[in-house]
Amino acid sequence: MRLIFKNLNVLRSTINAISTSIEIKEIVESAGTNLPNLFDFSSFGVFWKEDLLFFLYQEESCPSSFTQEVVKNMVNVFSILGEESIGAEQITLQVEKRKLRPKQMMMDPGATLKSHLTLPLAVEGEIIGCISLNSDQPNAFDAQDLQFLSVIGYQMAATLKHFQRFSSIKNIALYDTLTGLYNRRYFEERFGVETQKSFYSGTPLSLVMVDIDHFKKVNDTFGHTGGDQVLCKTSSLLKNSIRKKDTVARYGGEEFILILPEAGLEESFIIAERIRRLVENTSFEIGQAQVNLTISMGISNFPSHRAKSKEELVRMADQALYDAKRGGRNKVCIFAGKSAR
Amino acid sequence: MTPLMKEDKGGKWSSDLVLDLYSNLLTEIWEVVSALIGEAILAFLFTLAIRKLVEKYPVLVSLKVSEDGISLDGVREDCRAVAPIEIHRSFQSLINQLSHLFSALADGVINKELFPKVFPKVKEAERIISQK
Repeated sequence: MRLIFKNLNVLRSTINAISTSIEIKEIVESAGTNLPNLFDFSSFGVFWKEDLLFFLYQEESCPSSFTQEVVKNMVNVFSILGEESIGAEQITLQVEKRKLRPKQMMMDPGATLKSHLTLPLAVEGEIIGCISLNSDQPNAFDAQDLQFLSVIGYQMAATLKHFQRFSSIKNIALYDTLTGLYNRRYFEERFGVETQKSFYSGTPLSLVMVDIDHFKKVNDTFGHTGGDQVLCKTSSLLKNSIRKKDTVARYGGEEFILILPEAGLEESFIIAERIRRLVENTSFEIGQAQVNLTISMGISNFPSHRAKSKEELVRMADQALYDAKRGGRNKVCIFAGKSAR
Repeated sequence: MTPLMKEDKGGKWSSDLVLDLYSNLLTEIWEVVSALIGEAILAFLFTLAIRKLVEKYPVLVSLKVSEDGISLDGVREDCRAVAPIEIHRSFQSLINQLSHLFSALADGVINKELFPKVFPKVKEAERIISQK
């Protein structure tokens, strides 16, 4: 009886640790820390279907051949559960090795998987992953182990589903639904961080405003679906033309904005020119038609333009964009009309 | 499928007898296994097993599975003209399929709990069929 109470207490604290976790890695770690008090196992795994991630929390003496067997078994169970088949090589494996056993009970280098309990993580009729307990000992688990594991599995499934929902809310808050680029809200936030960093350290920062030329004509000729296709294609060109540290966002309508950290005037002009030429030379497919389009761009820079605030940098880039439009479009202009193409 | 027109001593059709038997058996399976792995996972496994078999054993299409349990009411309605042997084969396959899933998930842990309860009842169903 005392043992049952002890186990229930461990179960309670495991569930509590899982439900208060804020990321999947933390879930596995908190469960892994508590589980040795409930079960005698060689490895404990959580597979999350969405990211094809398999976290394994295992005894430090676990040989890699055993790990491979565990992965293979999980993949096999997952396919038996009627899910689309996944190759073991598609899975990203994250292994956390811990001392789960006393020295005299270390695993044999040739140890093989002898018993396991694997349960689907099911929420609202959907399988979002699997949870598994594995051992190199035959008949290592009994009915009570299965009961405890299922309780842990239900809590994990609920917490992971919560993460999934949270991540989709986060996506809605950060990304533009049509183009998949960051939205203006994210831009404001990111730009705030970057300007603060630059103003404080004096490192250069460039801002580039981009506008598709004669976009209204596209909408008038091909309708809004055609316009949307152009916006998506332009977004993809922009996204593929920037550096890793840059940010591109949809600013509104047919306007986009680029944050180029650590880019001086010359470098940002080179980047912008490259993008302008790329768009100019791209044939946009709208339904059956092939259309050529151009963009205009305006650049502002810290410290060159001596902006005192982020709002001022935006105004300067906007002014430069206006100059590019007024100067005939399909141009890159730097603030104060100092330069074009 | 051969329609069965024969009544047993109690006035029930043999199809009904076989259905009663499997209804009790599935309820028992539900009770034992849901206590081990919970209703949501079990409902998922039942649905999966039925989906895999329904093409070969259309009788199973009317089985209703939810987290509250399994109901054979629909099957009873649809099985009036189905031979008991056909009903027996359908449900026997369902139990085999479930047993295969249980074994894939938990080695012998679930089947060890189930076997003493399931085996005698399947034998009983076979006896009823063979009496015919």
